[in-house]
Amino acid sequence: MEHRKSTVKTACIEALPLAIAIAAYGLSYGVMAVQAGFSLLTAAAMSVLVFSGSAQLVAVAMAAGGAGMISILLTVMLLNLRNLLYGAALAEGLAPAGKWKALLAFGISDEPFVLSSSRFKKFGPDPVYFSIVTGMFYIAWILAGYFGALMGSQLDPQQWGLDLAFPVTFAALLVPGLKGKPVIATALAAAVIAISMDYFAPGNQLTIITTGLLAPLVGLWLHGRQKHA
Amino acid sequence: MLNQWLFIGILAIVTYLSRLLGVELMAGRKMSSALRLYFNYVPVAIITALIVKQIFIPTSGRLVLSFPVLISCLIAALAVRLTRHFLPSVVIGIVTGLLVRYFL
Repeated sequence: MEHRKSTVKTACIEALPLAIAIAAYGLSYGVMAVQAGFSLLTAAAMSVLVFSGSAQLVAVAMAAGGAGMISILLTVMLLNLRNLLYGAALAEGLAPAGKWKALLAFGISDEPFVLSSSRFKKFGPDPVYFSIVTGMFYIAWILAGYFGALMGSQLDPQQWGLDLAFPVTFAALLVPGLKGKPVIATALAAAVIAISMDYFAPGNQLTIITTGLLAPLVGLWLHGRQKHA
Repeated sequence: MLNQWLFIGILAIVTYLSRLLGVELMAGRKMSSALRLYFNYVPVAIITALIVKQIFIPTSGRLVLSFPVLISCLIAALAVRLTRHFLPSVVIGIVTGLLVRYFL
């Protein structure tokens, strides 16, 4: 019991700073969801049912840009591939949860992966730690998304520049991750591919998914070259 | 309205499935390091494509560069690089974009 109490405390302390960061993304998501035509209810429902920052932000941005359901879903599926990695890496650490593992799987995403994988490495399997961390992130994500949507629905989008929230949010999300030549090369390749595709076929539906499929190959190629150099 | 619910439902299912498959099927399997890297580079590529799509706007069949969007993105990028704070950087970017929109 004492052990469990200390796990809960550690999980709370370690999750809090990231929960605040997640709330900031959630706020942006809410504002964007309303811009994309979602209601307060559907914007919040998406957070409750999907609970994925990247999937939701990309989905509402594409919806706002007029993309069709199929191209949005394909893009989200491509984006979700990394959940396979996270799931595979966390499976052993979640194993003691037994049949509850399928429920805990709902919480797998970037931030819980970062915290939990380092916890499992140090202290072994610990579903309680994972539950507390993802529970805090879940609450932060839903509440912040709701407040963002509330804010977005009260303000005049043009006057407050809320339409600018889309590109600016993505720029602020992208930059901190641009570390190392392969990642930077991926981003540059993505910019070139996306601009070329839209130049030759303005407003087409395939730009994002094609860029998402092809640009990482450039990063991969550079990574391979660096290793052999 | 129904479409939105349908959209959310499908989004929820495909996202949950990717998580469940990882935990149930991929567990214990060795994934090639190339595949791992590829999966990790995908979000960078998609986010970049989304930014490009916002900066270059198709207008009557050709692409037009939006200066307010370009400058707001550059300022937000610089701000997040310097301050490491997401939300203030977003606000700084939006305010700059608004100023550019009204004064240029």
